[in-house]
Amino acid sequence: MKNMELIQHLLKMLKTDYLLNPLQRQYENVHRVAEPPGGPGPAQLSPSLAAMSLQSSTPEALRVVNLLQERNLLPPTPVPAPTPCLPQDLQKINCNPEVFRCTLTSIPQTQSLLNKAKMPLGLLLHPFKDLSQLPVVTSSTIVRCRSCRTYINPFVSFLDQRRWKCNLCYRVNDVPEEFMYNPVSRSYGEPHKRPEVQNATIEFIAPSEYMLRPPQPAVYLFVLDVSHNAVETGYLNVFCQSLLDNINALPGDSRTKVGFITFDSTIHFYNLQEGLSQPQMLIVSDIEDIFLPTPDSLLVNLNECKELVQDLLKSLPTLFGKTMETQSALGSALQAAFKLLSPTGGRMSVFQTQLPNLGVGALQSREDPNQRASAKDIQHLSPATDFYKKLALDCSGQQVAVDLFLLSAQYCDLASLGCISRYSAGSVYYYPSYHHQHSPAQVERFQKDLKRYLTRKIGFEAVMRIRCTKGLSIHTFHGNFFVRSTDLLSLPNVNPDAGFAVQMSIEDNLDDMQVVSFQAALLYTSSKGERRIRVHTLCLPVVSSLSDIFSGADVQAMTGLLACMAVDRSVTASLSDARDAMTNAAIDSLTSYRQSVLTIQQPGLLAPACLRLFPLYILALLKQKAFRTGTSTRLDDRVFAMCQLKYQPLFYAMLMIHPALYRVDDLTDEGALNINERTIPQPRVLQLSVEKLSREGAFLMDTGTVMYLWIGRNCHPNFLTQVLGVPNYAAVPENLYLLPELDTAESQRTRAFVGWLRDQRPFYPSLHVIRDESQLKANFMQNMIEDRTASALSYYEFLLHLQQQISK
Amino acid sequence: MILLTMVARVADGLPLAASIQEDEQSGRDLQQYQSQAKQLCRKLNAQSPDRCTLEAGDMNFHYLIAQGVCYLSLCEASFPKKMAFAYLEDLHNEFYDQYGRRVPTVTRPYSFIEFDTYIQKMKKSYVDSRARRNLGSINTELQDVQRIMVANIEEVLQRGEALSGVTKLCQSPVRP
Repeated sequence: MKNMELIQHLLKMLKTDYLLNPLQRQYENVHRVAEPPGGPGPAQLSPSLAAMSLQSSTPEALRVVNLLQERNLLPPTPVPAPTPCLPQDLQKINCNPEVFRCTLTSIPQTQSLLNKAKMPLGLLLHPFKDLSQLPVVTSSTIVRCRSCRTYINPFVSFLDQRRWKCNLCYRVNDVPEEFMYNPVSRSYGEPHKRPEVQNATIEFIAPSEYMLRPPQPAVYLFVLDVSHNAVETGYLNVFCQSLLDNINALPGDSRTKVGFITFDSTIHFYNLQEGLSQPQMLIVSDIEDIFLPTPDSLLVNLNECKELVQDLLKSLPTLFGKTMETQSALGSALQAAFKLLSPTGGRMSVFQTQLPNLGVGALQSREDPNQRASAKDIQHLSPATDFYKKLALDCSGQQVAVDLFLLSAQYCDLASLGCISRYSAGSVYYYPSYHHQHSPAQVERFQKDLKRYLTRKIGFEAVMRIRCTKGLSIHTFHGNFFVRSTDLLSLPNVNPDAGFAVQMSIEDNLDDMQVVSFQAALLYTSSKGERRIRVHTLCLPVVSSLSDIFSGADVQAMTGLLACMAVDRSVTASLSDARDAMTNAAIDSLTSYRQSVLTIQQPGLLAPACLRLFPLYILALLKQKAFRTGTSTRLDDRVFAMCQLKYQPLFYAMLMIHPALYRVDDLTDEGALNINERTIPQPRVLQLSVEKLSREGAFLMDTGTVMYLWIGRNCHPNFLTQVLGVPNYAAVPENLYLLPELDTAESQRTRAFVGWLRDQRPFYPSLHVIRDESQLKANFMQNMIEDRTASALSYYEFLLHLQQQISK
Repeated sequence: MILLTMVARVADGLPLAASIQEDEQSGRDLQQYQSQAKQLCRKLNAQSPDRCTLEAGDMNFHYLIAQGVCYLSLCEASFPKKMAFAYLEDLHNEFYDQYGRRVPTVTRPYSFIEFDTYIQKMKKSYVDSRARRNLGSINTELQDVQRIMVANIEEVLQRGEALSGVTKLCQSPVRP
């Protein structure tokens, strides 16, 4: 082919789409991917990594802090992620820390160095996070290293125009002819300018070699508990209404299918075939040997059968209104659901309100309420049966993910039930004591959560692989998935609210390497049947001195990873083992710092500035519902907290571990943000101690999923009248869970602030307004982690304990 | 029984739409046939016969090429050829109507995957026993199925060259 023909052919084949807002259904037309200013990026034709010298350690990160003396450690705003110590042009295009983060932003050169540092090495990822900007590439060739299959990325080096060197295995690869043309700049001969090499986060449209089968449609199956208990809670009304409201917003296309199964002591299926005048219920009572009563029409095309689906949703709540069924054959219902979904794959949403007590998978009430406040070990953290795990693995094999909504006032053995989601890449939602009348805040949260759940982006039949530079290896994975082979994670569903973590070790010394790279590749089918690959690449410097390792420590990432490790340890060994391990993490890392990094020995408990919050976070973990002892904690609550620590992306996990506390009765516009012409006050983050509370004030505590607005006994009447709309303290209602929309400056400021906090996250935190007499006061006070309690040390006492251990 | 249907662009084998029999039993075994189907679509070109049956063990691939698009189905050997080609013909008419104009312009695989809904309906109507009884009423203007070329799928795929011309590929009956 002559050059002109080639170029014309390429022009037709290559296109770069720039998705401006993937949350919209429409794709904008082709836009240029912005090139970084100041010339070519780091993957230049003449690589000069050798010439780039690392910046010297940031003095601030290693500033010596005596924790026993400096009490105000919290920055006024949320703690930002540390910036890796890389040359500016590399760091500028590095992966966003909200997507990909490492516990140590400066990687130790050897395992023995890492061992000396006594800090965990791992990655935390949020690979499918909703992004406001995502470059998407349609190309006939996806350029990958022929040896290790790494996708070409901003951190490869070009030896010349025609050859590129992989940054993970150092193999030299040829640049394919098509890649020589850059569709964005419409120039030839500058492969390093292509979007794949300019963006650390990018998405490819996958050619058909990346598919085992034609892309599956979106298939949604809802499995609903309709026992007497379930009907009592009133959840069915909320669910049906929510699905009706959002029926046209379910991600998918004209092939989308839905189905419903309800169950109590028998399993009920619904024939929704187009043409029927109304949905037809089919009951199968042989729960020991469940079968599908009809081959078709239990999962139907949503577009074609929408009216029947809507009829069913309108009638379901009343259909079981008078039921006296107390038994729950969840296991059989799940098996039936699996049969229905296994030919295509899809998503199973299970709603359960009591302990399953009939048929396969029946569970015992094994929680001993007297043990809730045990100061010793907690029992029953591991599954009682492998039924749910086995079924989850079967589901995973057929590309079915199971999400579990647990709405129960009684013990449900979440430790066993949770497995159905954990291994099938599903998620667990928990609404303890859900009741339509008695817990309106839960109802509101359920509604908002459902809306997000039903309408958020979803990927099907996905797999994810994480690769790292030769010499590093990944040995443990955390999150909801099944590890299919050494490093391939099977994700029947992938959703934008799921987080993952991995632990790494250094198998071979990273000598002669200035940087290492990590790449996460997520291959999935979109809800519209497009096969795509999302690739994230992170680059970090390698260092050979302990002080450099310490200065690059990411204290929040370390905390998040330790929390995952502690959950595992609690289940495989014991809770007290896990607690000890966490405390030792603080002791060991500060000991290492003192012995190997600190040049001048001083009295006190010394930490580098970048780790000054570490003991505080460890103490917070020890007092977290998941790990605390000596304080009454319901077993399901504890297990759910453990699930969340492993599943949530780091930002939300940190709010859960160390909530943010603000004083809100004296909000001003000083230092406020201006967003969309609204003024958002920015009050300081306060330490979690009653010392910081004041009877004269009102304080907002943000724990991620729940917010508490605590009103001091002598709270300024201005706040009460202008924000809460009540004349005095005594008039603050017991169960207030929303801020009235009053036309006062104070009300607007408060609502702007709370709204701004809420907008930053995709799920909806419920709000509870509480006074001293409120039942929820205990929940609020339990988060005052710096204070001493009957069963736990104060922060200062904890520091003294650490100091004592370190000095040994 | 029609187990697998695929619609692909002849020029480069790009898959445009597909449908797989959705029930517990047959889903799993179709991996190999799917892969053969993909390979076959890539081998087709302008010189390939526009109708052909390829024997694959106890299954048959039937395909029809029209307007640069290949319509391929995998059926049990017992499924009548006449019906298979009537089915493909019907698919062609509907597909060309809805998507024909856009076929030369698309680049993403399975750009018309939504056609699956129609394929499923069509499949049902042909597999439904009543339809089989109406065999006689199927359009007799349909090209005489006797003259449709028969070949063996393995041999076609193993050969380096694309399927082309009747004379080169006359085969003896295949071993199961």
